[in-house]
Amino acid sequence: MTNTRLDRRQLLAGTAALAGGLALSVRPLAAQDGGDIVLGGSIPLTGVFAFAGVGIHAGIQDYLKILNDGGGIKGRKIKYVAEDTAYKVDASVAAFNKITSQEKVSLYYGDSTGFSKTINPELDRRGSMIMAGASFATELNDPKKFPLQFMAGPDYTEMFGILLRYIAKEKPGARVAFVYSDSEFGRDPIVPSEAVAKELKLSVVEKIVTPPGSVDVSTEVLKLRRANPDFTIFHGYVLAPIPEFVAQAKQMGMKSQFMGTFWTMDNSTVQRMGDAADGFMGVMPYRYYYDKEGTAPMLEKIRQMRPEYQSTGYLQGFVTAMLMTEAVKRTLDAGKELTGVNLKAGLNSIKDFDTGGLFGVPISIPGNSVPVGRIYRFDAKAKQMQPASDWIKL
Amino acid sequence: MRIGTLKTSYAADEALFDTPVQRVLLVLLALCAIAFPFVASPYWLFLACLCAINVASATGLNLLTGYTGLVSLGQAAFMSVGAYAVAVLEIRLGTPFALNLLIGAGLAAAIGILVGIPSLKVKGLYLAIATIAASVILHFLFAHWSLTGESRGLSMPPARLFGLTLDQPFSLYWLIMPVTCLMVLGAANLLRTRIGRALIAIRDRDISAEVLGIPLLRYKLTSFAISSFYAGLAGGLWAYFFRVVTPESFPLVNSIFYLAAIIVGGMGTILGGILGAVFMTLVPELLKFVANWATPIYPDALAALAPVRTIVFGGLIVGFLVFEPRGLAEIWRRLRRFFHLWPFRT
Repeated sequence: MTNTRLDRRQLLAGTAALAGGLALSVRPLAAQDGGDIVLGGSIPLTGVFAFAGVGIHAGIQDYLKILNDGGGIKGRKIKYVAEDTAYKVDASVAAFNKITSQEKVSLYYGDSTGFSKTINPELDRRGSMIMAGASFATELNDPKKFPLQFMAGPDYTEMFGILLRYIAKEKPGARVAFVYSDSEFGRDPIVPSEAVAKELKLSVVEKIVTPPGSVDVSTEVLKLRRANPDFTIFHGYVLAPIPEFVAQAKQMGMKSQFMGTFWTMDNSTVQRMGDAADGFMGVMPYRYYYDKEGTAPMLEKIRQMRPEYQSTGYLQGFVTAMLMTEAVKRTLDAGKELTGVNLKAGLNSIKDFDTGGLFGVPISIPGNSVPVGRIYRFDAKAKQMQPASDWIKL
Repeated sequence: MRIGTLKTSYAADEALFDTPVQRVLLVLLALCAIAFPFVASPYWLFLACLCAINVASATGLNLLTGYTGLVSLGQAAFMSVGAYAVAVLEIRLGTPFALNLLIGAGLAAAIGILVGIPSLKVKGLYLAIATIAASVILHFLFAHWSLTGESRGLSMPPARLFGLTLDQPFSLYWLIMPVTCLMVLGAANLLRTRIGRALIAIRDRDISAEVLGIPLLRYKLTSFAISSFYAGLAGGLWAYFFRVVTPESFPLVNSIFYLAAIIVGGMGTILGGILGAVFMTLVPELLKFVANWATPIYPDALAALAPVRTIVFGGLIVGFLVFEPRGLAEIWRRLRRFFHLWPFRT
């Protein structure tokens, strides 16, 4: 009986403590002018996209550390306030509301296409920040519909465009197949890329759609074999079912060259394909962590800060933070207020900008994307993705 | 101290809120709910609206699973029917939001009846699989139909009322919270009617219920229709709240979420549906505060504690199932009894 009473008291005390803690956690807005500039983030540290989210989180933190250690922007530090979203849209919106309730946010990192679309009317209404994120959805690459958003790389259709240009150069009139997941992510670039292929005089001989992450693909591989493409582009997957596809196709004696898009292209992801990895190609907008070709002072800095391999997610977070803060720098240099419109104008003024070697060429952001990339091929002996083309600008 | 409640009429015996204290507390709760938007930040308002939508859907599922004993894993799919219907009507016809919500809910109810037809023949896990099949079909339809925007989904304009745009958690709160309260009250009242008693009889022993003259198919389908109506309405509210509906907005895991909510809250009690949905929505958010508090001491607490938070949340659910299988509603009941009888022992 005594125990029961204690339990109830503890329950009440616990509830009171939790309520008190929550009340304390609601802080007033940070000093608005001349204070820290805030970069908020809905980051998927858990859930299906955590493999990238952890790297993105570290990349953003590292770039801001370099910037803040160097004195910030005009003496103002950049403060990073992030929340885990588990890659769920409602959790991302909750994080956005929480962070913007507590801080005056100028920059925001979003974790998914769904979130970018959901929060867009709110971004426009607030007009106080710009946003980028993990989505390279073609739909977002529209400055009219998404005036305050951008992506730190080519959109998915542009990634296909880079791959198709490479193919057209390597083998004019080649037969190409698209294999994509039955999801918004997977379907994104397919229709516009067919038109691009036609322009480049390539023939799209097969389009295969599979459930995301499916494992039994034997029927689809037979279909692919019948189509006999010279190149097969996978999109809308991270890993599965690509290894299964490639392994089965190789067993059947197919000679098709297999290719992927950005979220498949991490060196460790491709390595996990096992035997199927050898010769696997794909498009990548950034240099790899280990790339020592040419001058890349920023990559050198990253290697000093983190001696172990860093993923493409890390580089994506790092580059995104770099471009966002460059927009802030340009806006402040112009003596303008940090509003969404001014920040976006600052971002769009980026022309032939040197990212310290993270992108292999100087970049410009005329719209909502950075349409640059390079084709890499996996070298099984070196266990590394190695350049297979020059940098391709669209 | 109160040792009992004297009831002198049948009406008093059947009242929904049977004691003056309960009625006073409810009035206080209503006043708090009215005052809440004026004191809460957009973050807490967002969470309140999300909780209300989840409560509405969980209450519907509770009527089906908790009160009628029919296990369903299709609640999220029925929500998607409501959400898509509302989005299509809003975009294509621009009809008033109240009408859109009712049409969406009605459509979800109609599809719920179709999905419920196998319930006369199959029960338990078999029925759950049938409802999963229905949700797969609906998902396929939404992902491939031009009317529903295929895989890109639909972005819709906000709800409008007398020229006012309901696009912020503050304004949406006044739409979502009253609708949810009405839905919960409706469910509580339904259980005092002939239909509600029939549903409970079916849950307790369907063969006995049939022997007593309750037509099983009609009442099972009624239960499916009501539950889906609730889901459709909740889905419609969800659509107005987020304003983007895609095939990936309502995955199967959301159906599991609602089932878990009523189990954690307490199956077969209206309060259980409410407490369970609020618990499942808020606890993952509240656990994030631990990382925030630890950040000044340990700068990368967010990344380190994010997976721990998921484990703690899972552990809490398992803990409830092991130590309080009758759910949060039972804890609440015991807490009330303690205060009723204080300072004496229960």
